[in-house]
Amino acid sequence: MPKAVRYHANSVVYFKGDMNDRVYILKSGKVSLNYNDIETGQEIHDIINTGEFFGVKSALGRYPREETAVVLSDAAMVIFSVPEFEQLVLKNTRIIMKMLKVFSNQLRRMHKQVRNLISEGKDGLEPEEGLFRIGQYYLNSQKYHQALYAFRRYITYYPSGKYASEATTHMEQAEKALQGGGAPASMSGMAAGGGSTPQSATQREELSDTAKSYYNAVSLFSQDNFQAALEEFKKLVQANNSEEYVAKSQFEIGRCYLGLTQYDKCIEHYTQMIKHYPRHPDLRDALLYVGNCHEKMGNTGKANGFYKKVLSMSSENEVIYRKAKRALRELEVSK
Amino acid sequence: MNVDLSMFERFAVTFQPGDIIFCEYEPGDNFYLIQSGRVQIVKILGDIEKNIDILQPGEIFGEMAILEEAPRSATAVSLDKVKALEFNRENFEVLMKGNPQIALKLLKLFTKRIYDQKRRFMILTLSNIEARVADVFLMLAEDQPTEDPEEDQRTFSTNVEDIAHWAGMSYAECKKVLNHFAGQRRVEIYEDHIIVKNINDFQRFVSSQRKKEKVE
Repeated sequence: MPKAVRYHANSVVYFKGDMNDRVYILKSGKVSLNYNDIETGQEIHDIINTGEFFGVKSALGRYPREETAVVLSDAAMVIFSVPEFEQLVLKNTRIIMKMLKVFSNQLRRMHKQVRNLISEGKDGLEPEEGLFRIGQYYLNSQKYHQALYAFRRYITYYPSGKYASEATTHMEQAEKALQGGGAPASMSGMAAGGGSTPQSATQREELSDTAKSYYNAVSLFSQDNFQAALEEFKKLVQANNSEEYVAKSQFEIGRCYLGLTQYDKCIEHYTQMIKHYPRHPDLRDALLYVGNCHEKMGNTGKANGFYKKVLSMSSENEVIYRKAKRALRELEVSK
Repeated sequence: MNVDLSMFERFAVTFQPGDIIFCEYEPGDNFYLIQSGRVQIVKILGDIEKNIDILQPGEIFGEMAILEEAPRSATAVSLDKVKALEFNRENFEVLMKGNPQIALKLLKLFTKRIYDQKRRFMILTLSNIEARVADVFLMLAEDQPTEDPEEDQRTFSTNVEDIAHWAGMSYAECKKVLNHFAGQRRVEIYEDHIIVKNINDFQRFVSSQRKKEKVE
């Protein structure tokens, strides 16, 4: 049972270095937590307000107290054991939320202080440069999948960044390497794993051919020629020449079905696609389209669910967020 | 953690072995709870890939993204086929209400991380490089309690590179200090472990050095 206790002014609730597993909440009076700043050594006095917890971190983390808790004026408080404290906050998650916020701020500050002391500067890279260098590391160590991931992320976040063109070149390099490694079975005339130079030359040509057919299909789509576009995209998937274009084509196939008002096919296709590419760059658009299909088929409940899912995956300043928001509003109006 | 997570199935994501889950320096907006498979946390320093941790099912990672979007401080790679629950700030609330046990687990994780960072900071504040290396061993000793407190000798499954990382010094510099200790027969260095002959001797050395530096 939590215990109510009173402390007189100038008494000490616990000393720095003490081991105990109690958590306190201040009901009235004044308590100060005294400790030395680890960076400057300066003595700090943190005043606890009534209604605030203290002693939480060292109790939960089971480590020695890091501060001395001194009572400044007669105080009343309630003492919880760790299990009692856990019971309390499990019923009141707002407390956990608030503490998470405080702790994560403290942790950020600690990370920064540690970084400041490590003079090597390796850790102090700007995110933009850091991300690019990671891609380079993976490319150099021939981990092409990982390199592709890093460069793709770079291009997503810094489309006109200072390494954007280099990142694009590296991406192509990594893609080529991946395709070279996985000797496609469809290329009948070619000796398996043959000399790398001539092969990479053909690879390049093929890649641009793939790109050409892809953009051809996209252009058919933009002319509302959905059936023809669908067939072209399907061919691209079957040819399986480039991982990137297969993924892109898979997405477009769903859009073609939507254009052809084959809603159930569209839903089925995107469900498969999402299973296969859980991190597809157009994942949220695909989900939005699935929502559209459900809406057209009269399943407003399901449509609602998909739109909300898209919302939960996007932030307010993104186009997709506004699209989903609008779809939801229209769904509401049509009810 | 014995809790029912079936209601969170819709947040499940899967990764193939070798997939990058997130990359250091990317803006972080999700955090993960591993359901099956292992996840390796690495940091790339120059041209080496340093293992930071290997996480098991039930563990949480990427948690710094819970409350603010800041660049990731390390890279997470799936070692096996990994199934994880993916949460972000928006659906975190759902998670909290549906399963406050996970939130409590997170809170505890934060207390541990804060403590570890502080401990690390204390090492780095020592200006004497020998004391710094000795203090790294003290930190490692705190993390692996012994059965026999009378025993002075301690064995750590670590290597020079790791010690250099924690001490915030270059490999060469750290190697020099360790060789010096080895010359004094205070440590024995092997490929995959290091023996400290007398951990209490290190303890005394570090605290006297701390006091001395405080006076200066």
